[in-house]
Amino acid sequence: MKLAFQLAYRNLIGAGLRTWLNAGILSFSFIVILFFDGLIDGWNKQGIRDSIDWEYGQGQLLHADYDPYDPFTIDDGHGKIPESERAASVPVLVRQVSVYPEGRMLSVKLSGIEAEQKLLKLPTGQLQKSEAEIPAVIGKRMAKVAQLKVGDRVLMRWRDKNGVFDAQEVTIAGVFSSNVPTVDQGQFWIPIRKLWQMTGLHEEVSYLIQKEPKAVSISGWNYKSQNELLKPFRELIKVERIGNSILFTLLLGIALLTLFDTQVLSIFRRQKEIGTYIALGMTRWQVVGLFTAEGAMYSLFAILLGSLYGIPFLFYMTKAGFGIPEANLQMGITIAERIYPVYGFSLIFGTVLLVVISATVVSFLPARKIARLDPVLAIKGKVL
Amino acid sequence: MTWAVMAFGLCWYTIINQMDTKEIIRIEQLTKRFRDGEGEFTALHKIGLSFGRGEFAGLLGPSGSGKTTLLNIVGSLDKPTEGRVTVLGKDIARLTHKESAMLRNRHIGFIFQVYNLLPVYTVFENVEFALLLQNFSAGERRKKVMEALEWVGLAHMPNKRPDKLSGGEGQRVAIARAMVKRPEILIADEPTANLDARNAHAIVRMMKQLNKELETTFLFSTHDEKVMGYLERIIRLEDGKMVSDEWVNVKTKKT
Repeated sequence: MKLAFQLAYRNLIGAGLRTWLNAGILSFSFIVILFFDGLIDGWNKQGIRDSIDWEYGQGQLLHADYDPYDPFTIDDGHGKIPESERAASVPVLVRQVSVYPEGRMLSVKLSGIEAEQKLLKLPTGQLQKSEAEIPAVIGKRMAKVAQLKVGDRVLMRWRDKNGVFDAQEVTIAGVFSSNVPTVDQGQFWIPIRKLWQMTGLHEEVSYLIQKEPKAVSISGWNYKSQNELLKPFRELIKVERIGNSILFTLLLGIALLTLFDTQVLSIFRRQKEIGTYIALGMTRWQVVGLFTAEGAMYSLFAILLGSLYGIPFLFYMTKAGFGIPEANLQMGITIAERIYPVYGFSLIFGTVLLVVISATVVSFLPARKIARLDPVLAIKGKVL
Repeated sequence: MTWAVMAFGLCWYTIINQMDTKEIIRIEQLTKRFRDGEGEFTALHKIGLSFGRGEFAGLLGPSGSGKTTLLNIVGSLDKPTEGRVTVLGKDIARLTHKESAMLRNRHIGFIFQVYNLLPVYTVFENVEFALLLQNFSAGERRKKVMEALEWVGLAHMPNKRPDKLSGGEGQRVAIARAMVKRPEILIADEPTANLDARNAHAIVRMMKQLNKELETTFLFSTHDEKVMGYLERIIRLEDGKMVSDEWVNVKTKKT
């Protein structure tokens, strides 16, 4: 084995440009796979962190009739705060309202939250500071759609607990920037006490956000752990990974095809050399091993070459991040304007292993032919 | 105990001494047939020969007479269809691939018509190759390679690549590569066919000198008149049959 690698190293170094062209193509695939996988890992980590910080906290307790993905459950999906959870959670009451920015009507979700809460990153402190009758904070996506800015007043119409319409002006006390669209798009945040007052639903909430992870079982409420809440996002990442793996397979496939082609051509062109190896005392399987080792070494050279330009590039990307096009930000998925790729040990090790193993296998396949080769004909270059 | 060791040593000395004087290649009733379309082509027909240690022998004959086929079988690159070929006591037909490779690696050197140098290796690396297969240390390899390059007068250009060598230099590298492991047998298939007269004489003289110094058995295939003058034994082949086996340029047969 050592000899095979020793000779393979000599052969590849001696082959000069041919070696580096192959290594270059393979290294490009290697770096692209690392980059995009790192990007998805970065997105995954950022997305989970943002979802916890902005929306899920340590878990949620949802009213049994409330489904955050079904707007028809908003009207009836609320109940009194369970006593046991009063201190341990941040309460949120959700209502469906209409706002009229510049005379246009927009149907939005109105969420009431404790202004003094510190659990979520929502800038509810601005609600406390505001002296407006009904202060509200909105996300920048909402601000953009409604063309609202801090200090603007907008008419809001809602129904109280008896279904009677009421309306009043709401003052924008703050506009926040969040990567989590579900706390931003089509949503206004006001102090929960104000919302209780506006609707007459005193001490009623749609869901509670837990400050500490604790599984609870309360009749009329559904407990969702942080993991369950993150499941849809994780599913999305999984789908993205599958999509990317198709791209990687194609990319790596092209690189491996190049390597396969080189090996086939190499065996064809180097018949005399193969014959000479055998005449000098190598067994046929030793020669197969040599050609396979050459293939494996291509991948090692690719990793070496890829490291030369890849490490600075990947390092730069971890600092500068990768800008996400505006259109993607509007898609309603948790994604930052810039994703900072994360390159973990398992990702790097896994990718290195993938490239080395696939290159070795691809080199072994044509090299097997050598095992059936007649050395007499090989020396003369008359085999294939 | 001492007596036993001495007796064992004496026994071995006798065996090795006998081996020295005995034949190292024996060919009996060798027939080689190749498939030729639907039928068969007989390349060698009932050849019987033997070669002793330190012979400088040549196989002569026109193209297709079976010279290369015979050398390939002796070199364990091919197997007989019928008959028996024994090299250093080993029956070629019975050797496994691994045993054949071992035999070639340790005991047989090859020189080819077109040198067959490994193109991406330097002169040094080409000569070193056979030693790499024998697990010599780097220091030992360097010593042996430089010694072999001294023999062929190329010690001053170990880092040159084959494509920068002249024909004569290329063939000298091939000789160094074949001789560096000090094989018992050296097989040279038309070694001077691609060389001009001056280089051909130089190469054969060099081989003759190595034959004398190292007692290696040289077995040529050639139809080059320049080589014939140096041969001690000439075996003529025609259409796969041996037509003559003469001792020339020597007073007595070596075995």
